Amino acid sequence: MTGINNWITHLTKNHVSIFPLVVFRIIFGILMFFSTLRFILKGWVHDLYEVPTYFFTYYGFDWVSPLPNPFMYVLFILLLIACIFIIFGLFYRTNTVLFFLIFTYIELIDKTNYLNHYYFISLISLLLILLPANSYFSLDTYFGICKRKKTIKAWQINILKLQIGFVYFFAGISKLNYHWLFEGQPLINWLKHQSDFPIIGKLLLYDFTAYLFSWTSAIFDIFIFFLLINKRSRLISYFVAFIFHIMTAIMFPIGVFPYVMIASTLIFFNDNFHKKIIGFISKYSLLKSNNFSEEKTNYQTKTNSILKVFLIGFFTLQIFLPLRFMLYPGKLFWTEQGYRFSWRVMLIEKAGYSQFYIHEPKMDRKMLIQNRDFLTPQQEKMMSTQPDMILQYAHYLSKTFKDSSLVESNGEMIKMGTNPKVTAEITVSLFNKGSRKFIDSEKNLSEIKRGFGNKEWILDYEN
Amino acid sequence: MITRFFKFLYVFSALFIIQSCKKSGCTDPEALNYNIEAQKDDNSCLYEDYDKLSLLTNLADNYIIPSLDAYKNKIVTLNTHVDSFIENPSISNLTLIRTKWEDALLNWQDIGFLDFGPSEYILLRKQTNTFPIDTTELNNFISLADWNLGYSSSYDSKGLQALDYLLFKPGHTDNELITYFQNNENAKNYLKALAEDLNQNINYVSDQWISYREDFINDFEVTPSNLSTNSQGSSISNVINALCLHYEFYVRRGKVGLPLGVFNGFSQLELPELVECYYSGKSTQNLVRSVNSLRKYVSGSSYLNNDNGLGLDDYMNFVNAQQNSQQLSTVIDNQFLTILDELNNINGSLGEEIINNKSKMTQTYQELQQLVPYIKVDMTSALGVLITYQDNDGD
Repeated sequence: MTGINNWITHLTKNHVSIFPLVVFRIIFGILMFFSTLRFILKGWVHDLYEVPTYFFTYYGFDWVSPLPNPFMYVLFILLLIACIFIIFGLFYRTNTVLFFLIFTYIELIDKTNYLNHYYFISLISLLLILLPANSYFSLDTYFGICKRKKTIKAWQINILKLQIGFVYFFAGISKLNYHWLFEGQPLINWLKHQSDFPIIGKLLLYDFTAYLFSWTSAIFDIFIFFLLINKRSRLISYFVAFIFHIMTAIMFPIGVFPYVMIASTLIFFNDNFHKKIIGFISKYSLLKSNNFSEEKTNYQTKTNSILKVFLIGFFTLQIFLPLRFMLYPGKLFWTEQGYRFSWRVMLIEKAGYSQFYIHEPKMDRKMLIQNRDFLTPQQEKMMSTQPDMILQYAHYLSKTFKDSSLVESNGEMIKMGTNPKVTAEITVSLFNKGSRKFIDSEKNLSEIKRGFGNKEWILDYEN
Repeated sequence: MITRFFKFLYVFSALFIIQSCKKSGCTDPEALNYNIEAQKDDNSCLYEDYDKLSLLTNLADNYIIPSLDAYKNKIVTLNTHVDSFIENPSISNLTLIRTKWEDALLNWQDIGFLDFGPSEYILLRKQTNTFPIDTTELNNFISLADWNLGYSSSYDSKGLQALDYLLFKPGHTDNELITYFQNNENAKNYLKALAEDLNQNINYVSDQWISYREDFINDFEVTPSNLSTNSQGSSISNVINALCLHYEFYVRRGKVGLPLGVFNGFSQLELPELVECYYSGKSTQNLVRSVNSLRKYVSGSSYLNNDNGLGLDDYMNFVNAQQNSQQLSTVIDNQFLTILDELNNINGSLGEEIINNKSKMTQTYQELQQLVPYIKVDMTSALGVLITYQDNDGD
């Protein structure tokens, strides 16, 4: 027992160097600054938050909605400013809180734009609020806003490692499925379009390559955390991770995600490495790390029990979320019940085509809806394969037509009533095995409640 | 040791092949090594060797450029006959100009779905074949002798469909039509302007293709970060997006769905005045031609002599795209054939058929509809192309 206790103390309460955390703060700030800037410059603030008339909110977060023009841009500018403050470690706590709240708020607006790495950034920024990453090599210490520390408690670094470990590990676990391992899906299909890749292009055409990539990446994801925490395998495993992420960055349109992982994984390296980085930066900046006189740090002897409970809850939830799909019947990739927030990255190849109908109450005649009158192409595409979004859209249509009167081309007046019926014919193709019927096209979707219950109106995959 | 191993492997596989020849082999008639005696497919089918450069080169040199040229020639001929008609508005010249117009419109159906690159840049489809025609505006143009065909607001008063109206003007016998043109200098000028406008547009596109061809086959639009994937802006993506868009919105919806009333609210009341060639009644032949050309284009056939070359079908086979455990390319081709079968049973114009035989047309529409998910979902997803007009990260 004492062995385990010692080990836990070693991982949590031991005093360790603050360098890795400080470097993490700076790199995180810089990366977020550039990825936010990229987002603005690509015009996505306009495309994703100003163009759509409807937004697919998360269940329980329906109160989140985009701010009116031009305040979305204000939010993004605030993000940029927060990043700069985080980089320099000025008013660190306020700015991490600000970053976390704004970033998460933006991501909650529309699940069309859900990406695992946005979720990752939300989690990391939440953790950063709790960590004293400004206690060294920062303007906060320079101006005496907070005390200078050269060492911190071990948990304050290990918690970030654990978070990164969670991402990799569950990404690996989620690859342990039949399609990924035994059909090489979806890589087998994606790689065939990559024949012009430098040097290895022609190799990508062989099915064998897809299987090799599938298995290697599954093994890589599952074990990389354990290899990174081990001193002897750290360098080589980081090198492998680097190559892996660079390859995915070149092959697939996954934006900044690979770079975020490459940068954040640096935290696994030892103090000396980070000390050198800080030394390197201070050579070219006004902040001189060696100017800081060392102060005897004064540790709180009592661990904050609220914090402890919070963190245990935080990680327990992260174990539950990726596994919650097991509570639902049916095939995960088909129903996508319990799919998000589970580190399932590039696992699925799915495309759909949907036709929605609104019915008039008197004679149950139906009218075809032009989806593009209500949704952006991207929203339509995401909605057509994801049942919770299908339901939301159906409710939105029903609400839009509720209590309205429509005049037909023959002059007939049609009253829509209080809760117009909505049905949909949807075909979906999973892993390019051919499109097939996705949901019960007779079902009145406007009557179905949203929620986490099983959606029995999704047709079985084997049908 | 290694050589011995390979020798073993060679003998072993040879035995295996001899063994399997007896009953199983390639059962896909589309494949190069189709074995007519084979009863059981052993996944040995070989298809034409696929590579993107050859595919794009074939599409450009054997379909796109010849089809643009053919259409251009028809427009040139049309212009000549418009000139002689204006000089001498006679019944025989009217008949001639109508025939030449009919030819040009049929040829237009071969290139309507090539709306990317130069064509997309000048909105060739909108400028050439927008319907229905705004006859009020058109008649105002003529009576006031005041028009500017370059304005996008004039697009629904010009193009081949404006000719459909002018050359088959409702309420006019042929003789009355001749009189109309004889006594109306403005109408003559407008006719001339329409033909010249068509000429100018196709000339631009055809000229641009001389230099655009290189970009097209070499896929220059790609960004360094996604090399030659079929990302947005790449040639494959352009080809497929233009194809799907044209089929879904301008063939299925525009040529049949809208006039049939599928999109007309709850009543689904037919709107036959929305058909293509409403005034001449030449709608059926144009629909048939357009489906035929789409089929030809997908199969990579040569425009001039129908020789089969590398097409999107070969690309689909190359990635082994399936639909209901059949080759997707076969399923798509069969659907084209089913549609053409349906269309062959139509006797009159689409407008007449919609009124007299609505249930039959509804069935035809359903077959047209069925092709949409095949090309828009199955084909695009198999070829790694996104149907979206907005770029975004994925994961």
